[in-house]
Amino acid sequence: MESLVIAEAVAKRYGSYTALSDVNFEIGPGITGLLGANGTGKTTLLGMMLGLHQITGGSLSVLGVDPYNEGHQIRARMGYAPEHHTLPGDVQASDFVKHVAELHGLPPREAKTRASDALWLVGLGEERFRPMGTMSTGQRQRVKLAQAIAHDPRLILLDEPTDGLDPEQRDEMLNLIRTVSSSFGISVILSSHLLDEVERVCDAAVIIGEGRTLAAGSLEGLRGSGSDVVLELETAEETSVVAAALTHSSISHSVNDRTIVVRGDDEQVFDVARDVCASAGVSLRRLSRRRLSLEDVYLERAS
Amino acid sequence: MTAEIFDRGYRQYDGPRSGVPGAMKTLVKHSLKRSLGLGRSARFKVIPVLVILFSFIPALVFLGIAALFPEEINNQFIPTYAEYFTYTIPITSLVLFSAFIAPDLLCTDRRSSMLGVYLASPLDRRSYLVSKAIAISIMLGIITVGPPLFLMIALVLEGSGPDTVGEFLTTGLRIIGSGIMMSAFYTAISFAVAAATDRAGTAIAAILGLLFGSGAIITIITETTQVDSNIRLLNFLNMPGQLGFRIHGEAGSLDWLQVSTSSMWLAFFGILLVSTLWIWSRYGPLLVRR
Repeated sequence: MESLVIAEAVAKRYGSYTALSDVNFEIGPGITGLLGANGTGKTTLLGMMLGLHQITGGSLSVLGVDPYNEGHQIRARMGYAPEHHTLPGDVQASDFVKHVAELHGLPPREAKTRASDALWLVGLGEERFRPMGTMSTGQRQRVKLAQAIAHDPRLILLDEPTDGLDPEQRDEMLNLIRTVSSSFGISVILSSHLLDEVERVCDAAVIIGEGRTLAAGSLEGLRGSGSDVVLELETAEETSVVAAALTHSSISHSVNDRTIVVRGDDEQVFDVARDVCASAGVSLRRLSRRRLSLEDVYLERAS
Repeated sequence: MTAEIFDRGYRQYDGPRSGVPGAMKTLVKHSLKRSLGLGRSARFKVIPVLVILFSFIPALVFLGIAALFPEEINNQFIPTYAEYFTYTIPITSLVLFSAFIAPDLLCTDRRSSMLGVYLASPLDRRSYLVSKAIAISIMLGIITVGPPLFLMIALVLEGSGPDTVGEFLTTGLRIIGSGIMMSAFYTAISFAVAAATDRAGTAIAAILGLLFGSGAIITIITETTQVDSNIRLLNFLNMPGQLGFRIHGEAGSLDWLQVSTSSMWLAFFGILLVSTLWIWSRYGPLLVRR
C-alpha cells in the first residue's frame, strides 16, 4: 500500500516547550482520522504536513517529499479546510471556491467551472452565488469542503469538519466525506476529537496524546489490538464459578455481569477458557476475541 | 430549446498548474478587486470610488484653468507636479486610502480563516506578504501616480505641458518615480500598523492617528522649540511629499530646506526596513489558525 504521509520520530519544539516529541505513523489512501484531545499537537502536526513549520527532530514525508523544503509543491496537490467558520462574509461562495482553485494553480476558466461543480457536489448548487455571511454553519462547512476539493488534490486535510453541525447535518457531512474518498479518489485526513465520528467514517486512525503517538493503524487493527477473549455466560451466577477456576489456573481476567474478559493474546487462551467452562459445567453463550471501540483504545493507550 | 447540465460529477484535473507565481498573481488580482469593492456589495465600492475621484479633482480644476485662461495667468495658479500633494484634497485622499486598504486586506485575512487557507496553498508567508504589499502599492499608486500623470498628459494635449519629448519623458519619469516612492512609503506604514492588530477598525484609527498625529506633533515641536531640523523626518504626513520635491529637482517647502535629500532617503529606506522587520516579526512565527 502506498503511503501518503510517513512520520518517523517526529518532534517539534518551540524554545523550551515541546509540542510533539515522538510521533510515528504511516497514512495510506482512504480516510484517516487524526485523533486527540485539544492541545495535543494535532494542529501543529497539520501545519508540519503542509510544510508551514519545520520539524525539530525525526523525519516527515508527505506525498513522497519533505513538506518543509518542497512546501509549495505539496500544497498545490493538497486541500485544507480550516475549523473556524469565519470566512469572509461578503464574498459569494462561488467566488471564494474559484479563488482558492486559482491559488492552487488552475487557470481561471477551469477554476470557475470546477468551483461550480464542487459546490454542486457538496449540495450547494442552488446556493452558490450567495454571500457566505448569509449561509448557515452547515452550508459554510460544505463550502469549506468544496474549496478543499475543487482543485483536484490528492490529499485533503479537514479540521473538525462537523463542528457546529446538528446530528442530521453531521450525518450528511460524514457521508460527503465518505463520497469524496470512495468516489472521487481523494484521500482524507480528518482531524477530530470526536471518536465516534472517526469510527463511523475512517479507514484508519492516528491517536495523538501528550505530544506522541498513542496508537496508529487501520481501524480494524486498532479495534482488535486488545486481543483479549470475551466469555459470555448464560447466567450471572455462573461467572463466579468460572472466575474462581480462572483464578485457580492463574489466568488474568475481569468480570462484568455475565461476561468475563480473559487477558491474553495467545490462541491458547481460547482453549483454556473453553476447558474451564467445560470442567465447571457452565453454558457458554459466546466465546470471541474482544473487539475494542476506538474510545476503549484511546482510553487504554492514554492511561 | 437548449439544455444545461448542472451536475457533471467529479472530474480529475491533469492540466498545468501555475505554481507560486500564479498563486501570487491570483492573490494580487483578488486583493485589487477586493480593495475596489468589485464582487462586493455597493457600500464597499463607495469609499474607493469617492477617494479616487477626489484625488483627481485638483487635476481637473487645474486643467480647467489651463483651458480657460491665458498662459501668464495659468503660471500663477497651476502648481508644479511636485506641489500636487501639498494640496489638502490629494494628500487627504492618499491618507484615507492608506488607512482603509491595508487593514481591509490584512486584518480580515487574519481574523477570518483566510490566512490559513492562503498558507495551505502554494503561497508561503513571504509570497503572501509580498503579494499583499504589491496589491496595496498598486492601489496607492492609482492616487500617487494617476492624477499628476493625468494632469501632465492633459496639459501636453492642451498645449501647456512640457514642450519637448525629452522634457516630457523626464517629467513623466519623475512623476512615476515620486509616485512609487510615496506609494511604497504609505504601503509600509499602513502595512506595519495593520500587522499589529486583527481588528480592521483599530488599524484604521491607528494609521490615521499616526499620519495626522505625527504631522501635527512634529509641526508643533518645530514651531515652538529649537530642535534639530531633522526631526521633521518623523513627520510621516509630509516627509514623502517633500522627498517628492527633491525627486522633481525642486527645493520644497521653506521649513524643509535645512533637511538634506540624503537624510530624507535614509529616513525613507529606514522606515521601509523597520516596517519590513516588524511585519516579518508578526507573521514569521504565526501558526496555522484553526
